[in-house]
Parts: sequence; structure tokens; C-alpha cells
Amino acid sequence: MSATNAPRPLVSFDAVSKRYGSVIAVHTMNLEIYEGEFLAIMGPSGCGKTTSLRMLAGLEEPSEGEIQLDGQRINEISSVERDTPMVWQSLALFPFLNVQKNVEFGLKMRAIPTEERQQRARRWLERLEILELADRDISQLSGGQKQRVALARSLVTEPRILLLDEPLSALDANLVVRMQGVLSRLQKELGITFVYVTHSQSEAFAMSDRVVIMSQGRIEQIGSPKAIYRSPASRFVADFVGANNILSGSVTGTGDALGISTAVGHFLCNPSAAVDYSEADNLDMVISADLVQISMENPTLQNSLRCRFISEEFVGSIVTIFAELEDGSDFKVQARQRDLANMALEEGATFFASWNASDAHLISPNKA
Amino acid sequence: MKQRRQVTLYGLTWSMPIVVWQLIFFVFPLIFLLLISFWLVKNYRMVPGFDTVNWVKMFSKGYFWDAYWRTLGYAGVATIVTSILAFPCAFALAFKVSPKVRRWALFFLIVPFFTSYLVRTYSWQIFLNDNGIFNTLFALIGLGPFQLLNNFFGTLVGYLTLCLPLVVVLQLISLANVDRTLVEAAHNLGCGRLRTVFQVIVPLAKIGIILGAVFTFILAFGDFVSPYYLGGSKPPTLSILIIDTTKSGQQWPRAAVVAVVMILTLLTIMFAAVGAAYRKRT
Repeated sequence: MSATNAPRPLVSFDAVSKRYGSVIAVHTMNLEIYEGEFLAIMGPSGCGKTTSLRMLAGLEEPSEGEIQLDGQRINEISSVERDTPMVWQSLALFPFLNVQKNVEFGLKMRAIPTEERQQRARRWLERLEILELADRDISQLSGGQKQRVALARSLVTEPRILLLDEPLSALDANLVVRMQGVLSRLQKELGITFVYVTHSQSEAFAMSDRVVIMSQGRIEQIGSPKAIYRSPASRFVADFVGANNILSGSVTGTGDALGISTAVGHFLCNPSAAVDYSEADNLDMVISADLVQISMENPTLQNSLRCRFISEEFVGSIVTIFAELEDGSDFKVQARQRDLANMALEEGATFFASWNASDAHLISPNKA
Repeated sequence: MKQRRQVTLYGLTWSMPIVVWQLIFFVFPLIFLLLISFWLVKNYRMVPGFDTVNWVKMFSKGYFWDAYWRTLGYAGVATIVTSILAFPCAFALAFKVSPKVRRWALFFLIVPFFTSYLVRTYSWQIFLNDNGIFNTLFALIGLGPFQLLNNFFGTLVGYLTLCLPLVVVLQLISLANVDRTLVEAAHNLGCGRLRTVFQVIVPLAKIGIILGAVFTFILAFGDFVSPYYLGGSKPPTLSILIIDTTKSGQQWPRAAVVAVVMILTLLTIMFAAVGAAYRKRT
């Protein structure tokens, strides 16, 4: 997406807030969602991600601000009138209708003649590879099949935007990966906008073009999965996403060799254009666990720390090592299992963790 | 093996009272009722026997069939009117009010059952008779007097007194359990508010609605009090016919025929309705 040829926004949130009594669920949110993009909104529970989606669907009314769809203010347009179909976490399939009738529902509401309705529903069932289930009851379907019915039901009206509220959270891990593939492919083929709310980093990163990170009703960062992962904009994002180590310290030298003094040592960083700083300012330094190298005797890279091994978590080829620094704070290292094979890592063992100056990412702590 | 037998024995022992109760007070009387319908009456005294004469006599009488269809019609109208009147009330209590209001409403729906149905029905006479409270009020605005008592309207008021609170409670319980996400999903798919009530909420609350209707039908079909005290006992319903039959010439066997026909009718309707309630699709 080049800046000169920016796609036009299909949806825009303009200073939108949502209050429930004294609780602010969404706080002056500004967001543009583009035509044809896969946008994930991610955050811990209660961060306002679902409320934002529900406001877009017309199931909640904004307390302040304006939501536009295709350039039109839609605040006052009821959920019934908007074409913003949603896939619920519970899927919300009608148990008293069979698969085919569930898919036809939206068309029936639009007074599409019976024959056309049935044909269109069957086309979508076929596209989602569940045509043979057309006459089944909802209670006879597996989790993955229900998922496909819910998708078909939402897409049958051929909307320009599809809203998804944690639709995969009830599925088992294997099925989640498969459905991610289905969703991704579907979105690319249809070329419509998907807005996908989730608390799962792997789901958000696997499918989306852009990710919105929310916390306590505010947007913390908007960016590509890679940008979010490698350049978190705030301490919250650095904590929430990935496996990051955060060291706080003060600036002890500016210019080409930026130095940061922390409780556990002095480290070099590459100067960052994204953060304003001057001598003696406090800064947070984020070191991603997978960019850290580990060695028993001598550090291998520029910046190093002495760590005490506490435990490890083994998930296939990648191992996460949990260690403790001299001042008692935690430090995580991710490494390939085969690289650790001949290291004597047992409880209490000390080792060196080291990283390149260019791999440390700086954030201003005041953006917490 | 011994263990298992003990468990079975334990279960049997504790389930015995209900089985014995049902046998003594339900199954045996029912069999007895069926047997009596084949007995004969000679010189105002019942004589055990097996003769289909009572059945033939009753089924050939025009007044029996008149009463049968009338009772069926009364119960049907009572069922429809009660269900329709109860639904908006149950709907509002389930969807439109706070849980606190809902609890109080539930309480006030149960309170009527504190007093005897007979007393409640009887007291309607004060409201409904020609010089009663309603007609006095109507007279103030230059209307009436209306005949509110000793006709089907009076009977219907009695049926509603008996059934309405119960039906509201049954519908309310079903409606309160309707998954709100499904209602939102319907709106989201373009189904308007009123349409959602009929397309989504009614099918989801089907069991409570049908159970309420079944209760109304059963209670109204067999009721004696309302058609007698508020409906004026003429023309008779089946329950009034039973009383009349026993009074005239000790015809208990013919009354038993009427009772057996009533039971069979109710069983048929009940099975059909419960079947419909629990059928998955609409």
C-alpha cells in the first residue's frame, strides 16, 4: 500500500466514545478501515474491541463521535438497516432452522423470491464445502461445520464488510489453523473488508493486513503485524505482543552510540528516529526474546547480560527459556531446540544472553 | 454383582411411594371408571356387567355431541385468548424490564393462587352482573347495561382468572431463556423488531408457549366452576353434563362414558402438543 495510491476508507471512526454509566468502554477512538483489507482488532478482555465492533454493527450506539460507512454517517441507522453482517463467538445460528434455512435467512428478510434465495444459499454452501449438510439440523453439526454455516449466512447477502467477533475461540487448535486458512482465502477471493476481533495474537498475525492493538478503551497502536511485532509503540504493546524483554533505563550518551544505563548494566542502542530523547531521559528498551543469543562462557554479541536459568518451555522446535537477572527481574530467551542441545542448562545455571545494538527497540515510557 | 442388586433395590424402595400413589389414586380409578362405563343401572341401582349400551346411548344423543363440540370450542377459544393476552405481558417482563421488576412481577403472578379459584370466580359476579360494578361504571358514561354474566363472556372471564397468571409465568420462563445473541443476529441479518418477535423469539420460546396453551386447554376443558357460576350452566359443557347425568336417575355409567371421552380427548391433544413443542424444526 503506497501512500500516493492509498485505498479509500470504507469505515471511519471519528472520535468515537462509548460510555456505560461512569465506565468508559471506548475512549475517543479514531480509526479508518479500508476497502478490501483484513483488519484485526486485538487486546485483552475488556479493552473495548468487541464494543467497537458492535458499534459498527449498530448493536451499540456511540455516546460521542461519528461512525461513517462509505462516507455516510451511520450513527442513527439501526442495525436492521445496515448491511454489516457479523459472525458471533457463539455463532448465533438459529437452532429452529436447518442449515439451508439459516443461510437463507438474510435473503428472506430482503424479500428475495424463494427460488433465487435457495439458489444463492446453495451457492454459498457449495463455496464453503458444506452443500451436503443443507438439510441438517444445527445440533447435528460439528464446530467447524457450524463455523462455515455462520460464514455462509453472513456472506450470502454479498456485503462489502464482514464483522467477526472471536469466531474461532471455541474451536480446537488444529481446526483454528484450518479455519484461518479458509477465512484468509475467502477474504482475498471476495476482496471485501474483514474486521476481526480477537484476543489471540496468532490469529490476528496470521490473517490480517493491519492490526489494531487496544487497551482500556484506547488504541495503542495500528500497524502491520510485523511492525507491531518488531516495533511496539508502547510498553503495553511490547508486553502484550510476542515475547519481549523490557529494560528501563536512562540515556547516557546521544548521537551514533546511544547508551542506556539500567539497573542491570549499560547497553548500546542504535539511535531511533521514532523516539525523542535527550541526555538523562528515561527510556524503555525492548529486546525481543527471539533476537537474543545464548552462550555459556562468553557473550557472543555487543550487549550482554548474566542470567540465571529458572525453567524452560518446550513447544516443538522453539524453546522459551525463563531466566532471572541480577536484580531479580525476569528475562526470556527464545532459541531453536537444536542450538541448545549441548548446553548444560539446568536450574540455577548461569549463562550469557546477548544481542546486537540494532536489535533493541526504544519506546518512551511516558507512552505507557 | 451383589453391589449392583443392592443399588437397584435401593432405587426401587425409594421410588415405590410414587408408584404406589399413582397406582392407587390414578391408574386403578381410571380402570374402574372405564369398567363402570359398561355397567348397567336397574331400578336406580348400578349393576356390574359388560354392556355397550351406555356408549351407544350417549353417542346417539344430539345433546352429548353439542356439549362435546361446545366444550372443545370453549377450551379452544380460551386457549387462544389466554395465550394472546399473556404474550405481550410475558414479553415485556422478559425483555423490557429490570430483573428487580421481573422478580416482583413473578411474585404478583403467583399471589392469586393463594386464594381458592372458586372464591375468585364467585367474586367476579359482583363485577359482572347486570347491576354490578362494571355496568354501574358503564352507566355513568351512558352505556349499557351489557350482559356480562351467564354467557360465554362470563365463562371466558372465569377461564382467564384460572389460567392467565400461570400462562404468563410459563411464557416468561421460556422467553427469559431466549439467547439475546440470536435476537441481535436476527437484527443484524435485516430482520425488523416486530418481525424478529415472530420469526425468532416465538420459535425459541415455543416450549413455554405451547405448555401454557396446553395447560389452558386442559383446565378450561375440564372446568366446572366457570361455566356453572359465570356462564350460567346452560347450555352445558361436558363437566356440567356429567353432573346432570349423575343427578338424573343415578346414571353413573353414562357419566363415566362422558368422563372417558374427555380423558381420551385431553390425552390426544396433550401428546400432539407436547410433540409439537419438542419437535426441532418449525
